[in-house]
Amino acid sequence: MATSLSRLGTANTYDLAMRNLTARQTKLADLQENLTSGKRVVRPSDDPTGAAQAERSLTRLARIATDQRALEAQKNSIASAESTLGDITSALQRFRELTVSAGNGNNTPAERRTIAVELQGLREQVLTMANRKDNNGLPLFAALGSGQVPFAGPNSPPADYSFVGLPGQAAASENAIPGTLDGESAFMLQGRRDGAYNVTLSQIPTDRTLQTGPVTVVDPTLVNGSSYSITIDAVSTVAGTTTVTYSVAEGPPVAGPTQSGLTASFPSNLPPSFTITAMPGLSMTVNGLPVAGDSITVDTSPSIFSVMDDAIRDIGTAVNANAASQAVAQALGNLDIGMERVSAVRGQAGDLLNRADRITSTQESRSIQLEADRSRAEDLDMIKGIADFQNQQTGYSAALQSYAQVQKLSLFNFIS
Amino acid sequence: MSILNIGTRALQANQVALQTAGNNIANVNTPGYSRQTVTLQTVEGQFTGGGYIGKGVDVQTIQRNFSAFLTRQSTLASSVQAADVTRSDKLSQLEGIFPGGASGLGSAISEMMNAFSDVASAPTDLTARTVALTRVDETASRMRAASQSLDDLQQGVDQELRQKADAINTLARGIAEVNDEIARAQGTGQPPNDLLDRRDQLVRELNQYVQTTSIPADDGTVGIFLASSQALVLGTTVSPVSIVSDDFGDTLKNKLAITRNGLTVVLDENALGGGEVAGLLRFQNSDLVEGRNLLGRLTMAVSTAMNAQHQLGLDLDGNFGGNLFTPATFNGQNIRQPVPPATLNTGTGDLSLAITDVSKFAASDYEISFSSATSGSIPRRSDGLVVSFPQTPAPTSGALANVDGLDIFVSGTPNVGDRFLLKPFSTSASNIDSVFSTPRNLAVASPIAGSMGSTNQGSLKQVSISARTLPMSLATPVVFTFTGTNTYTRSDETPVANTTVFTYTPGQAIEAEFPNNYPTLPPTYNDPLTGWTFTLQGSPKPGDTFTVIDIKDPAYGVDYKLNSGNATAMMNLRDVAMFDGAALTDGYASLISQIGIRSQSAAYAAEVSSSIATNLEKDRTGVSGVNLDEEAAKLLQYQQAYQASAKMIQIAQSIFDTLMQGLNR
Repeated sequence: MATSLSRLGTANTYDLAMRNLTARQTKLADLQENLTSGKRVVRPSDDPTGAAQAERSLTRLARIATDQRALEAQKNSIASAESTLGDITSALQRFRELTVSAGNGNNTPAERRTIAVELQGLREQVLTMANRKDNNGLPLFAALGSGQVPFAGPNSPPADYSFVGLPGQAAASENAIPGTLDGESAFMLQGRRDGAYNVTLSQIPTDRTLQTGPVTVVDPTLVNGSSYSITIDAVSTVAGTTTVTYSVAEGPPVAGPTQSGLTASFPSNLPPSFTITAMPGLSMTVNGLPVAGDSITVDTSPSIFSVMDDAIRDIGTAVNANAASQAVAQALGNLDIGMERVSAVRGQAGDLLNRADRITSTQESRSIQLEADRSRAEDLDMIKGIADFQNQQTGYSAALQSYAQVQKLSLFNFIS
Repeated sequence: MSILNIGTRALQANQVALQTAGNNIANVNTPGYSRQTVTLQTVEGQFTGGGYIGKGVDVQTIQRNFSAFLTRQSTLASSVQAADVTRSDKLSQLEGIFPGGASGLGSAISEMMNAFSDVASAPTDLTARTVALTRVDETASRMRAASQSLDDLQQGVDQELRQKADAINTLARGIAEVNDEIARAQGTGQPPNDLLDRRDQLVRELNQYVQTTSIPADDGTVGIFLASSQALVLGTTVSPVSIVSDDFGDTLKNKLAITRNGLTVVLDENALGGGEVAGLLRFQNSDLVEGRNLLGRLTMAVSTAMNAQHQLGLDLDGNFGGNLFTPATFNGQNIRQPVPPATLNTGTGDLSLAITDVSKFAASDYEISFSSATSGSIPRRSDGLVVSFPQTPAPTSGALANVDGLDIFVSGTPNVGDRFLLKPFSTSASNIDSVFSTPRNLAVASPIAGSMGSTNQGSLKQVSISARTLPMSLATPVVFTFTGTNTYTRSDETPVANTTVFTYTPGQAIEAEFPNNYPTLPPTYNDPLTGWTFTLQGSPKPGDTFTVIDIKDPAYGVDYKLNSGNATAMMNLRDVAMFDGAALTDGYASLISQIGIRSQSAAYAAEVSSSIATNLEKDRTGVSGVNLDEEAAKLLQYQQAYQASAKMIQIAQSIFDTLMQGLNR
């Protein structure tokens, strides 16, 4: 028998047809699985890179959600800190008003003591607010790390109040802001940077006036943070020029040398005013004619709390109008310095909150992007899926029908 | 008379032809049946004066229609198909063990690390700590579950292999018996068609299990050879096969071995070609091993990294943290020596492993062979990369070699030719568990902190500060003084502090270690880094300082319970490049894609080999298969011939009758 080019074994045709039908049926079942799960990639082997991409997108989405949650907590803390600073600023404003009213020359010491009591209440409020904590028990003004109570005091001088912690500000990152503000920067004062000094006078009798202006910093590099006491040794007038001889003693905390025999002169016919420059890096103007024996004490004010305490003490114990107005002038000057620092830090808090909002909107658009990536990698295009399914169904039904038809044909049907 | 003879002969021949056609029709669906056709031959004519007069027809033989070439091709193709389909099936089971999405291991790891964010926001909140610890436990239990599923799959494959080896032996014995019968039937001069069909069918079934080569011998028997060279059946003798373990007694691998005359030869599965057994062996020895190593590497890297980071932190009681997960250990399961019948090691050397760098792990087994007591080579099994030792530079820990983040130590003296198998990742996921559940013991505080100078005028901000290794000697705080906008000096410099002026770059980490290439930039350090590190941002003014202190230093009064630096450091582990360059949280995605790629390519291979096998089978049955229409036609043909022959006899009889009648007068 010659080998034929196109011969088929009957059993084999059944096998082939069955194989095709089974393949079509499997494909139909797979498409159905895709439709019911809504995913194009049901198993990783359907599309390994797509499966990996979908998995990575899910991880990143979870991470963004976590970061946003942490950001909310940080935002709450900073917002709370910012509003606390606002409260502190209002308290300081009230303190300032009271101080101004205490400077009225007609007040009696008793009235001044009453004012001092209210000032004391405000000071305690401010210290409590500075030590405020957030919902999770962490101090708001802890800077880079602090104890449970960041501002401790009052202690004995010279460090009346201390910041129990690590000064500094933490940096914001691309998806987080710090949760604490630098309280050290807000409430603690530095001699070199701020020049906050409280100047008190020895008791001046009511027939004289002697006042000093605020201490100003002329050369920060020379400032060494000591207190000074100035003693007037002699006042003499010669040929129309009045010369004041004084000595300056340094300390505490550093007991430095005493400089004696310093002089300052001014013309006698002008209102008496001379400048003391013997304190390194500092300068102070004295108004009024001193007499020998008067002394001026220049103390550092390490914090806004000590500024307030000094004001309370000086106003409350002022014996005459001269002392009162000296105390008021010093207090107002130093309060302004302190409030400037508080509002600087408050500005930083505002910046951080703005940054948090920007971060939130960036994260939101990233989330949308990631979800789109995930969907593209893994999800089924429903229209295409349904169309494919219909095609496959039609093909399968055609295959079944043709199988039934073709297999009926056989020569045996025609051999009777 | 001769007409009668011719008629009778014709009748018989056509009857045989009809019977053969009938046999074909009856056996249309018998697997392995080759259609038989009758070969008719004319009987030699008788010489007469008037010429050679033909004497009729004879059946020469019943020919079995088959093409040896196509049969061999088809058998081979179906063997390859069996291997590919089996491997593809098993691979889709393997990828089912590693689902993606919210129920997968990757999601558990990601949630666990993200849980530290809540702890960082509220370090004293015990609830957040408890949640983090619960997630740690969940991750450990998912890892164990995946490992258990791998074990189950392993066992299933093992059992299947043994069953199939038994089936191979049974079929081999069957072939040997048929060989015997065929050899005996050779003497009769006619081919024993049915026996030949039966043998071909047995060989075909055998090839489903393992690919064989058939070499016919002179006595009619066929020798069946495995892996092109090992005789399974020779004549009537059978060399049985068995499943044995590999050279190192590795319980996770199997090999096929054949025993002849008491000598067992182990066959390499790559030489086996096709067949279900070859597919299963390849799956078990390479795909399942890879899956297990990938899971083990993920487990070991994540748990070791988190343990190490946790130990750098302080818990609520001020103690340094312990382990979060059970620490990685290596035992006899991970380091194997050859077992009989392979050549045993002759030296006294033994190995041990230690982890040096989790980010360099490769998911692979390693083999070590010694060419002397101190030198040799370490081929990596997954891709064949060879590392030779001794290495330059030699590992500083005194190890024999450092490969892919693992230190290999040797004790005793190995001899030339000694070999070891190292499987560092094969057991790490089976026993992993979380060590503690007390929330107070979660160490989230950093042991160090940084402080800006209170007189700083510049805009320096602290980005991060963290410990790298313990102990850190910070009895004396280290002060960094900035001498200009981008220069600084250090107070911990020896012999004289603050001598060298370093360059400050905002956003670049400053280490406890001094750079070893100063003043070249960027700075390089000795690997691995020790001590601590911090990063600053912003620009300083001259005179600004930054001090690194021990957080428990009483001079600063910091409450370490409020610090969450170590929780932040834990979260930063998410971005450490750990798995062939991918970040830690992306490790699972790359795991499922690696297994998915294998599964996909196995599925493609199965499709291709299936369609090749189908086509060849079609071609083979084109020669050997029965076509019912053809047989129906032949029935008609031979029936007509039969009727014609019967008519011939009738004519012969009538001739005779006529003759007899004429003689009767």
